[in-house]
Amino acid sequence: MPDTFPLTDRASGDIMFYRGAEAITVGRFLADVAALASRLPQRAYALNLCLDRYHALLGLAAAVSRSHVMLLSADRTERRVDEIAAGYPDLYVLTDADAVAHASGWQPPADALFVTAEGQGEGGPNPEIPAARVAIIGFTSGSTGEPAAHPKPWGALVGATRAAAARFGLTGPGTTTLVATVPPQHMYGFETTMAMPLHAATASHTGPHFYPVEIAEALREVPAPRVLVTTPLQMRALLGSREALPPLMSVISATAPLAPELANEAEQAWKTPVLEIYGATEIGSIASRRTTAGDAWTLYDGIVLERDAEENVHVGVPGMPELVPLADAVAFLPDGGFRLLGRRTDMVKLGGKRASLSSLNRLLMQVEGVEDGVFVAPEDLDSNPAARLMVYAVAPQRSAGEILSALRRQVEPVFLPRRVVLVPSLPRNEIGKLTRQALATLGRQPAQDAG
Amino acid sequence: MSSAIAMESEVAALIVEALHLEMAPEDIAPDAPLFGEGLGLDSIDALEIALAVSRRYGFQLRSDDERNGQIFASLRNLAAHIEKNRVQ
Repeated sequence: MPDTFPLTDRASGDIMFYRGAEAITVGRFLADVAALASRLPQRAYALNLCLDRYHALLGLAAAVSRSHVMLLSADRTERRVDEIAAGYPDLYVLTDADAVAHASGWQPPADALFVTAEGQGEGGPNPEIPAARVAIIGFTSGSTGEPAAHPKPWGALVGATRAAAARFGLTGPGTTTLVATVPPQHMYGFETTMAMPLHAATASHTGPHFYPVEIAEALREVPAPRVLVTTPLQMRALLGSREALPPLMSVISATAPLAPELANEAEQAWKTPVLEIYGATEIGSIASRRTTAGDAWTLYDGIVLERDAEENVHVGVPGMPELVPLADAVAFLPDGGFRLLGRRTDMVKLGGKRASLSSLNRLLMQVEGVEDGVFVAPEDLDSNPAARLMVYAVAPQRSAGEILSALRRQVEPVFLPRRVVLVPSLPRNEIGKLTRQALATLGRQPAQDAG
Repeated sequence: MSSAIAMESEVAALIVEALHLEMAPEDIAPDAPLFGEGLGLDSIDALEIALAVSRRYGFQLRSDDERNGQIFASLRNLAAHIEKNRVQ
């Protein structure tokens, strides 16, 4: 791997973004980066909470140009932002008008910097950035719920982008437009919306494209070839809306397992291959498959899987200083690929976010008046994109609604229980454990209060 | 019953059905936020509601409606937005 990579390897006239139908070239981007970089404070870390995808990319590029590290958190609850700020006292917050206007009710800190595209003319510095320097830090919920940091060197980021571009036919000549529906702060959204335009022959679309009609309009606004980068949940909503889509080169799905039936329906409706990415915040994207062709995953070039003496699997990513443990159990295949063997039972993934049930249980037990309690994942969690958790709680003095309100201050919305069922006691065994079978019997008992 | 209130109960029933909520439609307070404090819905639910609305009322929800019109600020806002934009 070379010692440095430029901020972008694309030509000045290349298109890297679309705002509506308006094209933003690399030249204009570099002018916008220079303008923003000159406004950044003299601090080491940038927490990038921009909602507009182009603003988010400007934040990354300006921070990296100034040798700052960008912090990437898909969780913007007050609790998580405070936790990150406590861990990185030397940080500043980047945000934009969209992030503030959004209905989440979130308010940025008073000294947050508002990102706008304010460059003059075309062109600006395109710095060479050391491959070994940490460019971004992603966060997951650690085993006790605290943010666990996953640093990624610039070289690893560029290497992964180029490997993904090679896999999906995005190396040029010509520019492919990616309409990516995932927030830029999600690692999958980051890679496809922010990293790709810098080091692959792609242009992203600023959004918003959350609802089906917006996704369809964005696709119609941009020239072919087009790739829709999305999630099983949004794919299902888009199919259900019956919006007509222009011709697509492919659909790429990630964040949750894609059911083969849904993949097949999408391939039939949109006359295009549906491809799926496997990855995680710690490692980024590492493998892909065509869902309708079978359940085997093919690793990106350069990715290595190793099994240690305790049967744990670790991933080697080019440019990363160390092997990274894999969160899922896998079986190796003779051709170098792998098959997933199901998730580890403590980890649940909803809306593209992971949490450990034991950390959720700990938060539940901290709720005043809860004497015992447990989060339960439904059986169809891995196949139903809209599946939700539920809670059984022993709390004689509290109502289900009160428990939910208390959890709301601590838990990200997707992990909030859809039902809180109050029970007289939990069927713990002699060592205090709750088995799945015992919990199943609870589900059949009449509830005291279904809230 | 005024037509606005009739629309609110119709939309409340739609939400309960679309999201499989274990509550009666009349238990959704017309003024309480649907997201966050209040009913506690999130982005997954927003997509489900958008799908149900497009099927029942023939138009599509948008992020701009969510920002400018604050359609999820309450059942009342959502019902008014649907009444204004419905094509069936």
